[in-house]
Amino acid sequence: MTSILADTTTDFLSTRASRLFAFGGIFLIVAGMLLGDVFAIFILHPNNARIGETMYAAAMAIPSGDADTILGYFQAIGGFLENRGTKVAAHTHAIAIGYLAVMFAILQPVIGWSAEAKVRLAWTFVLSATLLPFAIFTIHYAGLAFSPLSYIGWASIVADIVGLLVAIVVTLQLVGLWRHFRSGGAAGPLVPALGAPGRLLLAGGSLLLLAGFFYGAGYAAYIEYRLHPGEVEILRNIVSNAAAGQSVDADFGAFGGLLAFQGIHRATHAHVNTMGLLLLLFALVQPYVFLSELWKKRWARVLVIASFALPICIVLEFRFGLIAGGAADISGGIAIAAILAFLFGLVRHTGVRDDAAKQ
Amino acid sequence: MMNRENRILILSGVGLLALTMFFGFWYAIFDEHQTLNAMGFALATGFMEAAGSNLNGAYEALDQYGALSREYRQEIHFHGHFAFLGLTAILFGLVAHTLAYGERTRVGLASLLAVSAFLFPFGVFLQIGSLQGLGKIVAVLGTIGLVVSILFIVVGIMRSEETTG
Repeated sequence: MTSILADTTTDFLSTRASRLFAFGGIFLIVAGMLLGDVFAIFILHPNNARIGETMYAAAMAIPSGDADTILGYFQAIGGFLENRGTKVAAHTHAIAIGYLAVMFAILQPVIGWSAEAKVRLAWTFVLSATLLPFAIFTIHYAGLAFSPLSYIGWASIVADIVGLLVAIVVTLQLVGLWRHFRSGGAAGPLVPALGAPGRLLLAGGSLLLLAGFFYGAGYAAYIEYRLHPGEVEILRNIVSNAAAGQSVDADFGAFGGLLAFQGIHRATHAHVNTMGLLLLLFALVQPYVFLSELWKKRWARVLVIASFALPICIVLEFRFGLIAGGAADISGGIAIAAILAFLFGLVRHTGVRDDAAKQ
Repeated sequence: MMNRENRILILSGVGLLALTMFFGFWYAIFDEHQTLNAMGFALATGFMEAAGSNLNGAYEALDQYGALSREYRQEIHFHGHFAFLGLTAILFGLVAHTLAYGERTRVGLASLLAVSAFLFPFGVFLQIGSLQGLGKIVAVLGTIGLVVSILFIVVGIMRSEETTG
């Protein structure tokens, strides 16, 4: 720890810009993960049930020829889908941009802008990145109220503006990197030796990421393309059987099964990859976590176990349904606790560094 | 000093992220809402045509829904995979100099990952339009490059005694 404190050129927590990126990023990651947990428990499953029930009711209205009633049902379904879609988008955008913010914190020593410019860019990024998932979240509730446009509301407009600001800051970071590399600017290794907890996280993250790539490739090759026509075929059966006055229960069973199949596999793929990235990211910040080696190892083990358990529990939903879903939520909660422990250690590091600088 | 393999991955990773963010901005304003509305309209039309005993019209509307649904998924996959692969490239870029290989192999793996990280989502994007066949070929090539490069990078990390520093 002493050697890290002595090195102000690569310590990613030694500047204001780096601290803004690091703590803003970790805040976004934790907020995104909490939203995901709450969304999964209180919205995902009830919402899916409402969509299925309403579509079934629409099919039941086919024999009577009541097109207006059917349209009303589909407008309701549109609302349910928007509710789900905006929650998922807020969850994924918060986490992905949080990851990027922490990476930018590590990269600050090789960004070729002045210290003042770096702080301004960091503030712009963190504020815009925090507003982005919040604005996406509110799209469903704000609707088109007082909107100057006919097809998107104020929440979407705000999300688009702050999204553009984030994209501009990312581009300016790229230009800063380019300026630094072209000028032959010196910098030591951006990440010092990781130590045992860091190596554990690095190994766990690498394995998860590799597994995620194989899972995604396999899913795309053997499942996604083979089953794709299934959805339209099932819908055709639903409308033709309903029009003939026959039962559509079996068709809806197949439809629900197909959606669950696709949803669980996609969620597993996404969570294997994002938890892999999370482990790699926290491996790289381990040298700056001011906790005892023993506690760093303990929290690293907890985070690795939770990161493997989360996607495994999601895929087990095929067999154990909501029980496995609940276990996935608990795994996510444990991962959040480990991240908060590392955040505590990082905050302590900044205090020790500031004290050392004063002396 | 940062090595070539670090620079290749970090620059390409941040570049991919900038690209996908500008795409996301354009997509959210000019395409996403329109596509979702068209999907909902096509699905509702399928049911309403069936209610009017016009099954051929219903099938046509449902086929249109299927095509729009596929287009929407591919647009989202393009955006999401670009972002995810950009983040992956930056992370591996920060430790690329520690891989347990010679310099040429490290640079080769970094270049393969950077190129594949662009090719795979680009192949998905091409499948949206009339270049579906070419898009599939590009996506498959990108997938092979990604799997091979990530596999060797992970093995290089595991075998590295230095890890970083």
